[in-house]
Amino acid sequence: MTPRALSSWVRLRIFMRSLFIQASFNPEGMQNLGLLYALYPALQVLYPKPEEQAAAVKRHLATFNTHPYVAAAIVGGILFHEEQVALGKEAPETVVSFKSSLMGPLAALGDGFFWLSLKPAVGALSVVTVPWLGAWSAALFIGLYNLVHLSTRAWLFVQGYRYGDGVVEKLSKINVAAWGQRLRALAAGCAGGLAAWAAIRFGSVESDWAAPVLVGACLATGGAAYTLVTRAINPYLVLYCAALLAGSAGAWL
Amino acid sequence: MVPALARNLTTAPATSSLLLLKRGEVAPLLGQWNFVAIAALWGGLLALERSAVLQAMFSRPLVAAVGTGLLLQDVPSGLAVGFFFELFYLGGASLGGRHPDHEMLPAVMATASSATLAAASGAPGTPTIWAACILLFAPFGRIGRVLEEQLDDRATRLSGKAEASAAAGNLRRAARQNLWGMWPHFFGSALLCGAAAYVGHALAPFENQLPLKVVKALAWTYPPLCSVAAAVAVRGSNARFAFRYAALGALVALGIGSHVLFMRGAPS
Repeated sequence: MTPRALSSWVRLRIFMRSLFIQASFNPEGMQNLGLLYALYPALQVLYPKPEEQAAAVKRHLATFNTHPYVAAAIVGGILFHEEQVALGKEAPETVVSFKSSLMGPLAALGDGFFWLSLKPAVGALSVVTVPWLGAWSAALFIGLYNLVHLSTRAWLFVQGYRYGDGVVEKLSKINVAAWGQRLRALAAGCAGGLAAWAAIRFGSVESDWAAPVLVGACLATGGAAYTLVTRAINPYLVLYCAALLAGSAGAWL
Repeated sequence: MVPALARNLTTAPATSSLLLLKRGEVAPLLGQWNFVAIAALWGGLLALERSAVLQAMFSRPLVAAVGTGLLLQDVPSGLAVGFFFELFYLGGASLGGRHPDHEMLPAVMATASSATLAAASGAPGTPTIWAACILLFAPFGRIGRVLEEQLDDRATRLSGKAEASAAAGNLRRAARQNLWGMWPHFFGSALLCGAAAYVGHALAPFENQLPLKVVKALAWTYPPLCSVAAAVAVRGSNARFAFRYAALGALVALGIGSHVLFMRGAPS
């Protein structure tokens, strides 16, 4: 195995700096400043000549946008290609095309798995545990989520640096879509269960005849709210209407 | 009426195990302005975590609100508010550079105001206070989103500065522009969260004078708010057959819950 130009310390620095990738998100360059900030220690090592370093900095100031977690794979891949460029084995355009070809698909992958599947699933699961765990449910959220988040982020960075374009093949072996579906189903099941459980708990404090009425009212409110939000009615409007109805009932009944 | 969920939350094990102080008891050194300062600092740090650094979900409503409750010595309020907002914003996601509603701001603001209101009135947090604070601060989800978009626009100038620095040969300065974009998020959020803590304290005298009907109306509002939040969460789960999975979950919960609560008797 040929020795790599970037030391472990520099790579660790780059990984840590990649956690700031969204710090100056802007509509024009999007994550360009974050990407440059992450890569800068590598560019300093790989390009000792000022003019070469300036050229490298400028090519990473171009618009860049992807999911912040999977950006680790692209950052690792860029390091792989920049090493090749510095050795004269690849043209600088290779790095640019690597970035631009991967940022879209990886953004879709990251959004679909992390934002739309893992986050709702862990959120719903943690909320379900609130009555039993109390404040520890928040710790459960952080622990569960970051177990997946941080390990994936580190793994992607390593795979990107090791294999460059080969990271795509590594990612395709994980069936992210199927996992995403399961997590979303879990989130929906937890939310539905929570709605029913909360209705029963609220109703259980009332007298014999009023308990089923209150349980039914809460369930009906949830059902009506679901129907309205699936028909693109603003959730805030639904929220305040429900509050108004419930408040009126509470005041006059 | 104190709904069972609310009572359950207030007696959650972590309440007594994590805090040495009893509910409603305020340490002498933690006066009103300390609460405001703590809420502001916490809100600012969470804004940094949410928009700039790591994104490890410390800014999710459940975590942020419980953290606020711990810091302001009112974990039950943090749990009640976090429970609601976590469900309400369950499906929020930043896709393609478009921001979702700001889920952290209303959660921290509502918890901070609940905690300071309860502390100032000398009574523990109640569903009345939680419902009032949720309804008061929920619009800050939208306001926070608009604020974030404005701050993003402002960060475009930093991109220009970085390009100018790179052209001038000052490469280190170009790379470091990234660190300047996050501070407006910190200060904006800190200002709003601190203000919410102050508002809670300022509302305390009025809360004590509320007519019984209004108190009752607000107490009745908290359970349906949770039902609406759960319904929004089902929608936000993004599952293909969300309603079927939710119905299944509801049936399981109804079966277990009815058996435990009605057949064996509800807890006192």
